[in-house]
Amino acid sequence: MNIVLVGLSHKTAPLEIREQLAFAEPALPDALESLVGHEALDEALIVSTCNRVELIASTPAGSEQGLDSLSAFLTNYHKLSPDSLNGHLYKHTDANAIKHLFRVAASLDSMVVGESQILGQVKEAYQYAVNAGTIGRVLSQLMHRTLSVAKRIRTETGVAQNPVSVSSVAVELARKIFEDLSDKTVLLVGAGEMGELAARSLIDAGTSKLIVTNRTAERAEEIASKYAGGAVNFEAFYDVLPSADIVVCSTGAPDYIIRPPETKRALKSRKRGPVLFIDISVPRNIDPGIANLDNVFLFDVDDLDSVVKANLREREREAQRAESIIDAEVQQFIAQLRSLDIGPAVVEVKELLSVIVVGEFRRNRKRLGDMTPAQETAIEDVLIPALVNKLSHPMIVHLRNAARDGKPTQMVEELRKMIRID
Amino acid sequence: MQILWIVILMGYAICVAQSILSLTTTRPLMRKISFAALAIALGAHSSWLLLRGFRTGRCPLVGTQEMSAFLSWGLAVLSVIAYRWYRANALKAFIFPIVLVLAAVAAISPGPAGDAPEFGSTLQSVLLPAHVGLLLLAYASFFVAFGAGVMYIIQERELKHKRFGTIFYKLPSLDTCDTISSRAMAIGFVLMTLGIVGGVWYSYSRYHIYWQAGPLEIFSVVTWLLYLGVLQSRLNAGWGGRAVALASIVSFIIVICSLMGVRYLGHAL
Repeated sequence: MNIVLVGLSHKTAPLEIREQLAFAEPALPDALESLVGHEALDEALIVSTCNRVELIASTPAGSEQGLDSLSAFLTNYHKLSPDSLNGHLYKHTDANAIKHLFRVAASLDSMVVGESQILGQVKEAYQYAVNAGTIGRVLSQLMHRTLSVAKRIRTETGVAQNPVSVSSVAVELARKIFEDLSDKTVLLVGAGEMGELAARSLIDAGTSKLIVTNRTAERAEEIASKYAGGAVNFEAFYDVLPSADIVVCSTGAPDYIIRPPETKRALKSRKRGPVLFIDISVPRNIDPGIANLDNVFLFDVDDLDSVVKANLREREREAQRAESIIDAEVQQFIAQLRSLDIGPAVVEVKELLSVIVVGEFRRNRKRLGDMTPAQETAIEDVLIPALVNKLSHPMIVHLRNAARDGKPTQMVEELRKMIRID
Repeated sequence: MQILWIVILMGYAICVAQSILSLTTTRPLMRKISFAALAIALGAHSSWLLLRGFRTGRCPLVGTQEMSAFLSWGLAVLSVIAYRWYRANALKAFIFPIVLVLAAVAAISPGPAGDAPEFGSTLQSVLLPAHVGLLLLAYASFFVAFGAGVMYIIQERELKHKRFGTIFYKLPSLDTCDTISSRAMAIGFVLMTLGIVGGVWYSYSRYHIYWQAGPLEIFSVVTWLLYLGVLQSRLNAGWGGRAVALASIVSFIIVICSLMGVRYLGHAL
């Protein structure tokens, strides 16, 4: 039994190719069924997202044939010529296939390392395959392990820890100042798209109130009503400033509209802790001088961006640690798969033993004298199987250990020799 | 008894090492070990105080050894409480070095020389230890406030200078530092008030005077007024953030300096 994987991702293929190869959700059950309809493939799973398509299968026919069947299916299904995907597809077998799947699910192969979506998508793909009935013993073990490895990496390494988008960094900074955002007020100055995005992240993070102000009042009211906030006149900005804890500024104004003297005056009546100013506008709309005021914290686009970059680097570093976890997990999983494979060998050992015991019984039958038929069946049906089980037990334990080390076939050979010693 | 101190010191030393190391590295480090070490050390520490109490038949608050032991115990307990309430793991890095030093002082100091003070009445035998114990706990609270104030100032600097290193991520938010600092000051103030009341009462019951204008007494009243001023400014004048953090630091430094001065001048403690 081999595991094979054929796929392509944002790293190997441009969007034009990826979109041609994507599997639409409604078409998945049929696609899965026709995959396992293939004689070389026993079980199959398809992960299809906007960044990647992965076909994973278990094959009894050898990995070469398994890979060929998968790539042939991919081109046939999408009605492409067999050569059209040259250079875009990657093909992995066994350990490499398992490793690739672990890395994908753990988001080490994602565009943004550590993003959380991919794990959900892999889970979903597995659910589709389970529903379509194309998951058997091998892939179900593989998928369970994949999901647990991905979770392990999320908790044990920092690949998913620090935010890597400008608006989530804004939320992170707000939390570093305020801890609890639930009684905080956001003042959105200007109605630019980036500003709205940042304000929305803050609202999603639990801030209690939104005030919007904009040069054109209609647009302010539009946004305010969207997030159940209030709109105020642009001229009244400094009047509402004292009631705001977080100010997000993103207007198209060509120069500074929030200046130190006015801000200082406005904040005098505030009597509460710090205020966070986030300036997302380019050119900047907040005079950097206000950062010198007590209890005022100011971050502009570049500041947020540098945090994003630092966090990305940190994720890359953590990804290195994740890789070594994955390597160890792959080894473990392969050992586990091999020990699954000793089923036939166990049967064989038992049969060999039982042939010997039954043979001896028949050969010496006469010496045992008269027996009732009940006694005879008791020997054949109870005594002999019990004997075989007892005798084979230590051998099977041995076999299982050998399988874990990857040498079940040699062990079966050895056992064969030992049992046939007569 | 000596073996208890070895256990206590080792436990706190592990805590100090872990809490300082984990301020500078991103990964959680020896968390469980440090937790177990703290639990064992705190258990041993409490047992030492109890044993000493049973053995001498009085509160273990006489002499340098017992007072340092009690003060470090109070600090350790307070920082555990702060951790439980505010998840402020970083606070341990600021408090436990002092806990360790005080515990070491207690470990190497000789036990109280001579007999315990004779009390004229049962009331007096309650009032004096209450007075000393409450004041020591008040100083422990002020120290927690100081630690949280220092964290606030460091975190504020990191934010103002836009340095988002490991320390930035390890320190709690400004609001949390502010809350710990203010509450610790408020608790310390209440304890100190009760401690002073206990002292005045004791003095009256024993010597029939309310007030001796000794350096220690004057110092206590000054400290009490200092913290009253800080708390009052926070509540009514709208002080917040940086000002309170600075006040908690400056007040504590004043307290320590004058405490040293008083000791030097008057051998009062």
